[in-house]
This record gives sequence, C-alpha cells and structure tokens, in this order.
Amino acid sequence: MKTARAVPGGAEFPLPGDSLSELMRQVLAKGKPFRFKARGLSMSPFIKDGDVLTVTPLATAPRTGDVAAFLHPATGRLVVHRLVRKRAGRYQFKGDNADEVERGLPIERIVGLVTSVERDGRELGLRRRAGVAVAGLSRTGLLRTAVAAARRAGVRRRGRA
Amino acid sequence: MPQRIDLDAAYGPSEDVVVREVEGELIIVPLVAGVGDLEDELYTLNETGRAVWRRLDGRRTVRSVVAELADEFEAPAEAIEADVLGLLAELERRRIVARKA
Repeated sequence: MKTARAVPGGAEFPLPGDSLSELMRQVLAKGKPFRFKARGLSMSPFIKDGDVLTVTPLATAPRTGDVAAFLHPATGRLVVHRLVRKRAGRYQFKGDNADEVERGLPIERIVGLVTSVERDGRELGLRRRAGVAVAGLSRTGLLRTAVAAARRAGVRRRGRA
Repeated sequence: MPQRIDLDAAYGPSEDVVVREVEGELIIVPLVAGVGDLEDELYTLNETGRAVWRRLDGRRTVRSVVAELADEFEAPAEAIEADVLGLLAELERRRIVARKA
C-alpha cells in the first residue's frame, strides 16, 4: 500500500474543458474568484495562450467591452470572449482574434467576468475604455487591421529610436 | 503549530474547498485566501489518499477509517494509522478538511 499523499499540481494537471468549467462554476457559486491558465489564441493579443486569468462572480450585468467567461450553448464548454453587444437582455460575444460571433446568449450562460490577466508573473491592466473601443472594432471586423497597424507603428517607432 | 489529529474525532471536507473527480483523479481546490486558485493551489490525491478521502464523511471516526482501510488493504493497522494521521494533518493544515464531530 502506497503512502497516502496530497500532491500539489496546478499547471502539471491539464483539465478537460468541461471539468474546468464545472470547477469554475462551483467556486463562483461560493462567491469566490477563480484563477486559472487560459488556453487558445482566440483572444490574442489581449489574452495570450498561457496567461493566468482571474474570473470573479457577476455582481452586476456585464457591459459592452467586458471580457467574460460563458458556457457555449452548443458545446457546454467554457469560453472566455469579449462582450461586443448587448440588446434586449441578450448578449453577443466575440473573440478578439476570432471570426465567429456568439449571439443571443442569456445572462444565465455567463459565469463570471475576467478581472485580471497575468503574463510572465506581471498583471496587465484591463482598461474599461479600451475594452469598449476594442469591442467596437471587433464587432465591425476592424480589430485585426487596427492591431496590425499599431504593431507596424510600434516597429517604426523602435526603428527610429 | 500543527493540530494533533484525534483518532476518535470525525473529519470531513472543509466548507471552503471544491472537489471534482476527473478521469479517476480527485481534484481538490481549496479556496485559499478567498480564491479558487487552479494555478497555484490545486491538489490531487494518490490512490491511497483517495481511499481515505472517500471515508471522510464527517461521521466516521478516524479510528474506524483506519480499521476499514486495514481490512481493505490487508495491511497492519499501525502502519495505516500513521499514514492516515499524516495525510489528515496535511489536509487539515491546508484547510482542505475540518473536524466535524
């Protein structure tokens, strides 16, 4: 018989999506925030693969520009995308780097708001006004163009320095 | 200073813990400092640990858990007792289990 042990292991134990969403729901149901590692590229460059996110329970209805975690109506999987439009109590989400739009979500599908993004041990600011601007650009399909232009401008500035 | 585990007490999962079984593994997330932290505070139990955990129902005493495990694993009760006490002390220190009765 092996010695009974509790083994610490966050990043070493990748969880299937439905288990992650279930754990998140259980934690948020207790009114506590949930911290986990994001996977995927659909929110790049604002959230990158491997960033550590903190999701907090909804205190009020989310606003356009907020990044939220919701349960996908078809797959039931947990998705973290940006709220790009809200109309008649229904919510429309889109990944900043994705083409698909998730329309007509009821608030019951939204499990929490992303309130912190950590990258390489540093917390990145989530600016509300920037979020609104990003949502507008994302909805109109101009976000990738704007990001590419900002990158080119950054390269030119660095080139001059 | 670690609390001494009482053989005649019953222990169970703490209120501030979330537990889920995933592909045979038991995933335990203590809500340390009010956060469910999958990045830095996630635990799994090995097979023996899971056998102990399944019996932590807040009603069975530690002594009876030891007796059941000694029977199940056909191992000396003294060795099992040391093992169970060690695990419970660790789980209690991490606030994963609490004394219930």
